[in-house]
Amino acid sequence: MGSIEMEPLLLAWSYFRRRKFQPCADLCTQVLEKAPYDQEPDSDEPISQAAWILKTRALTEMVYVDEIDVDQEGIAEMILDENAIAQVARPGTSLKLTASSQIGGPSPAVRPLTQAGRPITGFVRPSTQSGRPGTMEQAIKTPRTAFTAHPITSSSGRYVRLGTASMLTNPDGPFINLSRLNLTKYAQKPKFAKALFEYIFHHENDVKNALDLAALSTEHSQYKDWWWKVQIGKCYYRLGMYREAEKQFKSALKQQEMVDTFLYLAKVYITLDQPVTALNLFKQGLEKFPGEVTLLCGIARIYEAMNNISSASEYYKEVLKQDNTHVEAIACIGSNHFYSDQPEIALRFYRRLLQMGVYNCQLFNNLGLCCFYAQQYDMTLTSFERALSLAENEEEAADVWYNLGHIAVGIGDLNLAYQCFRLALVNNNNHAEAYNNLAVLEMRKGHIEQARALLQTASSLAPHMYEPHFNFAALSDKIGDLQRSYVAAQKSEAAFPDHIDTQHLIKQLKQHFAML
Amino acid sequence: MAEVKSMFREVLPKQGQLSVEDVATMVLCKPKLLPLKSLTLEKLEKMQQTAQETIRQQEIAEKEQHQTNQ
Repeated sequence: MGSIEMEPLLLAWSYFRRRKFQPCADLCTQVLEKAPYDQEPDSDEPISQAAWILKTRALTEMVYVDEIDVDQEGIAEMILDENAIAQVARPGTSLKLTASSQIGGPSPAVRPLTQAGRPITGFVRPSTQSGRPGTMEQAIKTPRTAFTAHPITSSSGRYVRLGTASMLTNPDGPFINLSRLNLTKYAQKPKFAKALFEYIFHHENDVKNALDLAALSTEHSQYKDWWWKVQIGKCYYRLGMYREAEKQFKSALKQQEMVDTFLYLAKVYITLDQPVTALNLFKQGLEKFPGEVTLLCGIARIYEAMNNISSASEYYKEVLKQDNTHVEAIACIGSNHFYSDQPEIALRFYRRLLQMGVYNCQLFNNLGLCCFYAQQYDMTLTSFERALSLAENEEEAADVWYNLGHIAVGIGDLNLAYQCFRLALVNNNNHAEAYNNLAVLEMRKGHIEQARALLQTASSLAPHMYEPHFNFAALSDKIGDLQRSYVAAQKSEAAFPDHIDTQHLIKQLKQHFAML
Repeated sequence: MAEVKSMFREVLPKQGQLSVEDVATMVLCKPKLLPLKSLTLEKLEKMQQTAQETIRQQEIAEKEQHQTNQ
């Protein structure tokens, strides 16, 4: 037994191709222990060289995330934004929202808003996840619940946490000791340099060293290798030097047009808050690469971020024409249909996702809602049951219970609705919508004091929503507390200027005050 | 069917104005479709979770070692 063994390096290579990175790295370590390579590229041991590169690549792949998708803006970057050209951008040229730019977007009476004042989307990516507040005022106003906390700066954000964690898992210390590395030597060997760069950039998260290596390498290639220019651009982007990054990407594009480079450059423009330039760039890219899904999708995302939902869904449809299994496009179109009063069409999109093998809490929750509003009652409760059983954490469960509360309201079972909203709060104590809805139910029972307390909690948790403000105004008006009612009504108007009932209430209150 | 029709007849006033008082009611927050997560986000979350798990285990191991040493 065991007398016939595969050549270890071949086995490691095979592990790598099957994406079993841990065994691959372990095997490479064994090979390297037998024939130490010891950070000396001069040694002419081809096997140890190969093992070294393979291990580097395996370790990189373990923590690799697509750099295009990663974007997290910290508070410091937002406040100390040196790149802003104008304090107040002209309408239609900025991703930051002002109250007037909401015109044309869906009404908050139909489609809930995120904290950033954007309509909720059908799909979250790392950059949309935290919902970057549009203005500094919003950033400070937003209450710090456990789920909305921004990192202080992006350089203290997720990158670093992951980087240090990956080092901790290695009991013998890091695989490559960066401070002892002779970067110039590596830069002269392009194959080593590329693997090493990715390792430093993705695994160690040491952008400065990565930049040094990239700079030396591009010099060695006499500035003729577009790949190195893109990497330098990536480093500059991470360091927050956006204009320098832009230059590198542009120069790389001149040499060799690649889809990736277009995406990176557009990412720079989006960070610089120049959506129109990014759109033009994408269109330019589409001329070179007609029908490229990532470019089309990029356009759709920008339109969505600019609140131009109709153009966004047009481009998402274009994406689906090229790739009919694109989850993001299907989810976004589905949610657009749901919020434009066509739940039965939304249902078809979500069913398509289910057919494609997406199987998670969010999807079943959406299916349940669509089924209920499309009057397919038989599937509603089973979908929600499944969503609850698939919920991975308490926040997800809270959202499912919250939606289930709506079903209960819809069928008129107010006791069940009450219990559902309570359960949502048990699971997530910061669920502002559930507080508001619970208050409405309490009001129906005539418990004014409870309702008031709940509404106050809701409006302090989510100042961007108009519902708790309006409800509080209506309630205060009812019990004769006109001053508080007026203050709350004005907050409600600020959150949703076109709300007729709020305008009506304010008018009424003003008449009252004039009579005094 | 004809019988049923005769049983329920709609009543519409033929003269005079029909007025409905619009009572402002409180507003419920709308149902929330949950956004699906992108693959990158899922991978990031998974990586973060495993990283936290290993750190926690290391801490527990360290504590135990500390206790046995004392």
